[in-house]
Amino acid sequence: MNQFVFKSTAKTFLISFMILGVLCMGLTWFTDDAVHSRFWTNLLHNSVFFTGISLMATFFIAVCITAYAGWHTMFKRVWEAIGSFIYVGLGLMIFISIATYLHMNHLYHWTDEADVAKDAVLYGKKGFLNTNWYLFGTIIIGGTWAYFYNRLRALSKAEDEDGAGVNFAMHRKMRVYAAIFLPIVGFTSAAMIWLWIMSLDAHWYSTMFAWYTGASWFVTMIALTILILLYLKGNGYYENVSQEHIHDIGKFLFAFSIFWTYLWFSQFMLIWYANVGEETIYFRERYDKYPILFFGNLMINFLIPFFVLLRNDTKRKFGSVGFVAGIVLVGHWLDFFLMIKPGALHTAHTAIGHHGGDAHGAHDAAHGAADAIAHGAHGASEFVSGFTLPGFLELGTFLGFLALFIFVTFNSLSKASLVPKNDPYLGESLHHHV
Amino acid sequence: MRKAVHRNMDVVYGLYDDEEIMMDAVKQANKDHLDIMDVYSPFPVHGLDPLLGLEESRLHVAGFVFGSMGTLTAFLGMTWIFTKDWPIIFGGKPYWSVPAFIPITFELTVLFAAIGMVVTFYTICGLGPGVTNPYLDDRITDDKFCIAFDKSNVDLSAVESFFAATGASEVNQKTI
Repeated sequence: MNQFVFKSTAKTFLISFMILGVLCMGLTWFTDDAVHSRFWTNLLHNSVFFTGISLMATFFIAVCITAYAGWHTMFKRVWEAIGSFIYVGLGLMIFISIATYLHMNHLYHWTDEADVAKDAVLYGKKGFLNTNWYLFGTIIIGGTWAYFYNRLRALSKAEDEDGAGVNFAMHRKMRVYAAIFLPIVGFTSAAMIWLWIMSLDAHWYSTMFAWYTGASWFVTMIALTILILLYLKGNGYYENVSQEHIHDIGKFLFAFSIFWTYLWFSQFMLIWYANVGEETIYFRERYDKYPILFFGNLMINFLIPFFVLLRNDTKRKFGSVGFVAGIVLVGHWLDFFLMIKPGALHTAHTAIGHHGGDAHGAHDAAHGAADAIAHGAHGASEFVSGFTLPGFLELGTFLGFLALFIFVTFNSLSKASLVPKNDPYLGESLHHHV
Repeated sequence: MRKAVHRNMDVVYGLYDDEEIMMDAVKQANKDHLDIMDVYSPFPVHGLDPLLGLEESRLHVAGFVFGSMGTLTAFLGMTWIFTKDWPIIFGGKPYWSVPAFIPITFELTVLFAAIGMVVTFYTICGLGPGVTNPYLDDRITDDKFCIAFDKSNVDLSAVESFFAATGASEVNQKTI
């Protein structure tokens, strides 16, 4: 079977989860605090997470093309399919950008012009952290990513329909696009990570943050690839994708989990060692108020993949690789949760503090737990639902987004043959032996 | 891992020009129930290990054990030094500063694993400074692929006809 059929039962299943996600987001909106911080952070969290995953798939295709790699060629359509989410992800990010541009949300402290004028640090960053950069950066840079994805995908599909059979004509063109794309994605992904995620803690900065986030995206992309491949194999597709291929992707899962840990630790240790107040605030906040996530993050994303995948044979068994992939997928979603929520909660408190005077704000404030802290409920628990730990609404939203992601991926997968029959590297992939 | 040091052993061996031909020959030898002593090649040949019935090397288990020893040595060593033996305050940090120990722990883990695996490998293979191992032919390290039989183990005429049938470019005998 060389053509993936996106069955209607699978579609119904995924759509029902998407409806669940929409319901959860609606419920979040109506039970939220005055500035809807829980709704906007959930939207940002999942949009950034899945957009990044699709970007990493395109990035990895470009890496493989540039490196003359052939081991993956058999299932490269899966990465092309994952990459197709960039259109939807870009749409979501532009939606958030427009909302930020029009001050419809209070995700970022630097959007508050009164505070920026008073605050020397925020004032100093004004040249980059402003709504123009946010909106037009997202559109232009995200658009560039989508353009390169589009070209690579189109050439790959054209290669399949090439009447001349196996030849390098298309591949040479893809090499040009891939080689141009790599430095662009290297620099621009960092810029977008600073804008989208790091600027939530607007006073804080870390030069390692972009790498750290990128590694998180990459590991998740590998984990999702494994899960999708196992699903496809379970349904009778890709009979030639063997243990050898899974072994190599398993190595990537293992290696990049360690790479992620390396960046996590390096960022932590330099800040811990220098002990400069402006820098330690990021970890102080998370260490004190989010201890379960802070340490759980390391357990799930480092200890489990490291010790389970350390042996040669566990990387070759579908069961163990799939198990770790599932855990790491949720683990890195939690990692992004921990990157986004604490900073956004602070900003929400500040914003609600500003609104505290008017009657409307005070009325809304009665709903939100976040407001309780903003109004200084000392001695009360610092637990804020949807922030301190992910609640059911966050889980539902995640499942909704995951279903959307899988839907877009499978839809794209069904548009082309599963095995690219004219790719010059297909033979290498078929005989891949670790 | 086969025994690398052979003494006073009569060996009959054939040289092949290409690893594909040699692989086919190994398959043929298995079919003919000829007991191959060992195969030598200038580079690792994919798929040869299962044909020869070699089990997976356990060297990485040794690597894990040595690595764990390195982890413990570094971590417990620094813990003892900085809390009991010679406590010093660095930059206002506590005596037992785990994050500061991690890089050194990591490095000793790698060092112990690397050195431990090299020593283990050399010991198992009987290699090391001052040790001269016998060899069958110079060109095995260059461009020839060699299948060797222990003469006391096989029927000489059967082996010679096997070499002739499978396209060996040369057949020799040597006592090593």
